[in-house]
Amino acid sequence: MNDEIRIEDFLITKKQKEFEYDFFKKAEEYEKWEDVDFDGVYESERTFVVEEEDIKAYSEGILDDNFLFNDREAAEKGPFRALTAHPLFLTSVGFWLTGDSGPGSWVRTPGAINPGQVIEFYEPICLGDTIRATHRFHDKWIKRGKRYLTYVTEYFNQKDQMVAKWWITLILPRSKGEESHNF
Amino acid sequence: MATIAFDQVEPDMQLPSITRHVDQRVITRNATASLDYNPIHVDPVWAKKVNLLGKGTTIAHGMCTFSFMTSVITDWCYSNGGFISRMESKFIVPVRPGDIITCKGVVTEKHPRRSTKSFVVVELTAENQNNEIVAVAKATVTLPSA
Repeated sequence: MNDEIRIEDFLITKKQKEFEYDFFKKAEEYEKWEDVDFDGVYESERTFVVEEEDIKAYSEGILDDNFLFNDREAAEKGPFRALTAHPLFLTSVGFWLTGDSGPGSWVRTPGAINPGQVIEFYEPICLGDTIRATHRFHDKWIKRGKRYLTYVTEYFNQKDQMVAKWWITLILPRSKGEESHNF
Repeated sequence: MATIAFDQVEPDMQLPSITRHVDQRVITRNATASLDYNPIHVDPVWAKKVNLLGKGTTIAHGMCTFSFMTSVITDWCYSNGGFISRMESKFIVPVRPGDIITCKGVVTEKHPRRSTKSFVVVELTAENQNNEIVAVAKATVTLPSA
């Protein structure tokens, strides 16, 4: 790890402090590309209760100072009538809900590469929302020697409104993330 | 912050661009914000050892670049009631510490509707300091009427 830049120095929120950030720790237990293929829908065991510090920390992490995502009082006078999460706040929701084992844990695979994503948004995520998710296998394929995997994850708020649907795709290494992708 | 309504928008309209300087602090901070601690982003020693993408450095999260691109749209229209209903992205060139990323958007389609919300399609690019396109994206954005 870089001597000057330590993850610990950037942990702000309760969730960040609680979350296991060592992606090597349970790597042997993550789903592998070879193993993933199931019918049905898996529901995350956890939920994400959206707190003010979560929304603000994400905005800081993407260098976005939009008042809708940073200033509670001003945002309450805006079009969403609440402090609102940046659309890609969904990333932190997704990693939180997946946790570090079980279905979907392949997203933590060391050395996984992001080729591109598709997301549909239906409702904004706002302060006070409680988000849950369901996941299902969508596809896996090999193209130019690289192994792709896609899940479809649907996110719902406490009113059972779907807030987003994400076709999550990664290119996964063959094993342990130690082999070259040969890009 | 700009405000915008569907009737004011025309195809080929350029959105205000944004520029972000990416270094390891930005990448690690983004890791804590997104909870994505893949070592290819946060562990320079491991990144050098495995040399996944050829230069032996960490790389920024694709979702970080995607967030920058998304902010072009949220800066443009969210304070006035705009809303992104769909986004798709493709990451082309890794973003590395030291890169300067400029994100631009242009309206390419305009879809007037009577019974539902009218929307536009915005095509986005993220470009580094060497004028390489590092990522592209397409967003469908509903906009309020005037």
